Amino acid sequence: MTRVRVTAPRQAARVAPTRPYRSREAAEDSDVGQVFVRSLIRSQLRLAVVVASGFLLVLAAYGFMVALVPDLARMRILDIPVSWIILGVALYPVIGLSAWLYNRSAARNEARYRDLVEEK
Amino acid sequence: MNPAVGLAAFVGVALATAAIGFYGLRISRTTGDFYVASRTVRPWWNASAIGGEYLSAASFLGVAGLILLTGTDALWFPVGYTAGYLMLLLFVAAPLRRSGAYTIPDFTEARLESKAVRRVTSLVVVAVGWLYIVPQLRGAGLTIRISTGLPSWVGSIAVIVVVCLTVVAGGMRSITFVQAFQYWLKLTALAVPVVFLLMHQSDVGTPALAEASSNPTGLPAAGLYQTVSLLVALLFGTLGLPHVLVRFYTNPDGQSARRTTLIVLGLLSVFYLFPTASGLLGRVFAPELARNGQPDALVLLLPGKLLGGVAGDLLSALVVAGAFAAFLSTTSGLVVSLAGVISQDLLGGSVRGFRVAALLAAVVPLAFAFTTDSTALAGSVGLVFAFTASTICPVLLLGIWWRGLSDAGAIAGMLTGAILCGGALVAGTFMGSSVAPAWLAQPAAWTVPAAFGVMVLVSRATKHRVPGTVTRLMTRLHVPERPVATERQRR
Repeated sequence: MTRVRVTAPRQAARVAPTRPYRSREAAEDSDVGQVFVRSLIRSQLRLAVVVASGFLLVLAAYGFMVALVPDLARMRILDIPVSWIILGVALYPVIGLSAWLYNRSAARNEARYRDLVEEK
Repeated sequence: MNPAVGLAAFVGVALATAAIGFYGLRISRTTGDFYVASRTVRPWWNASAIGGEYLSAASFLGVAGLILLTGTDALWFPVGYTAGYLMLLLFVAAPLRRSGAYTIPDFTEARLESKAVRRVTSLVVVAVGWLYIVPQLRGAGLTIRISTGLPSWVGSIAVIVVVCLTVVAGGMRSITFVQAFQYWLKLTALAVPVVFLLMHQSDVGTPALAEASSNPTGLPAAGLYQTVSLLVALLFGTLGLPHVLVRFYTNPDGQSARRTTLIVLGLLSVFYLFPTASGLLGRVFAPELARNGQPDALVLLLPGKLLGGVAGDLLSALVVAGAFAAFLSTTSGLVVSLAGVISQDLLGGSVRGFRVAALLAAVVPLAFAFTTDSTALAGSVGLVFAFTASTICPVLLLGIWWRGLSDAGAIAGMLTGAILCGGALVAGTFMGSSVAPAWLAQPAAWTVPAAFGVMVLVSRATKHRVPGTVTRLMTRLHVPERPVATERQRR
């Protein structure tokens, strides 16, 4: 069986700009809406905390590595000490990657919320 | 260094800043334009502007200087400055944009429905802004002294005059263009000399870069506590900086606020490669700067020292220009956001009030800069981060993510953070940086949890004071704002 989505007539597109925040109003209107909002906030917070802890774990891992492997201080790549390469260069892509992953997942959380509110 | 070169570089940057500022003036018409560019700035422009505003004297001169002094310990500074933006993205960017407030006090007042909270927040914001402007002015003094031989105060006053003129004339709209221009100028000004020097050295034949791990000053390495505390300050301090937050209001919606932050992270990551490289070059070729007490001048002196002649002069001019771009952009960003707070709270929020407030915001730190003693640039900016992390950060984080925050809790927490952190900083400064114990010199690791703890406990005890509008406000902060209509059209 194929599912058919019944959407609003095209006029809706022209009406909407006068009420730009339909999803917000829908959410505020009802108890069910508030349940959705709360779950959106919870999932966004969980996501932020997971990404932040992931990044802090990487930092902590570096700290442990320096403490446990004293030889690291003497290691070099192209004459530059490894600790300089890790701290001075390699950490930045980790920061950027965390941010990119977060942005994608946060946008997905919001899209999921919007679908819930619209299909209600 | 040739004095004419330094002067020409400063005048060039000042003129370029003024020119872009006045070009922007023609576009700004309404009060909304004047304050926050009517929230219609594109992500790339906005991200460049945020980068331009954020990269201050501490980043441009201080990081390389500190690397020269302390080596790998100092590499945590740029990592922290950048990762602070990651925290800002994760916890603050989109919700704060959706709150629709102009300034941090606007946000706390709307969230907690309390004039008293607004007043306390305003005081803290003004204190943070003033504290942050002071190192910029010191950097300007240092740069003028090194590059032209004029006394330091000339540099500080010149920066304040240029900033006041541009801010009073154009407000935020032109500031956005000015700041964006200054990010790219700063990047060029650091990157070109570093690349030149590296190429030059590989031609001449380098004494191995391996010497980088040698220690020119014999300072002891930072302990675990100091590194952790510094990271707490930098990670959680960034998201409370007033001049950084005000820029997020210029994004059209929450999602573009996040996109802008991602671009900012990229811009910062690229930028910080170059102070790091300068610091490394400094350790190899100019270790005597660390010993004779002017490590912060490393970036300015390096081209002349290694190249000399016309090439050295040209590169020095470029670096001086970049340094002034750093002082001008951060100071004007801070002055704009402080003026926004002062004028809305004291002067009724008119455009005229904004101009008076801008003068007030700029002149007070000038007095501070003249009367207080100077310390390393990156270090003193780090202390401002500790203060922000102990005051504004808790009220923002809990305000955005926790329904239970009450006005009494917010005030108690901010005051606790301000008193503990401010007290530790004052005590540490009086004792002198070599004598003060680590927990006073780097207080963030205990003052930030203390501020959070007090805020939560007092809010719990005053549950009845949680405003009734909290549900509406939380919905507004977190629900995506894109109109349903545009979604439909795309399918």
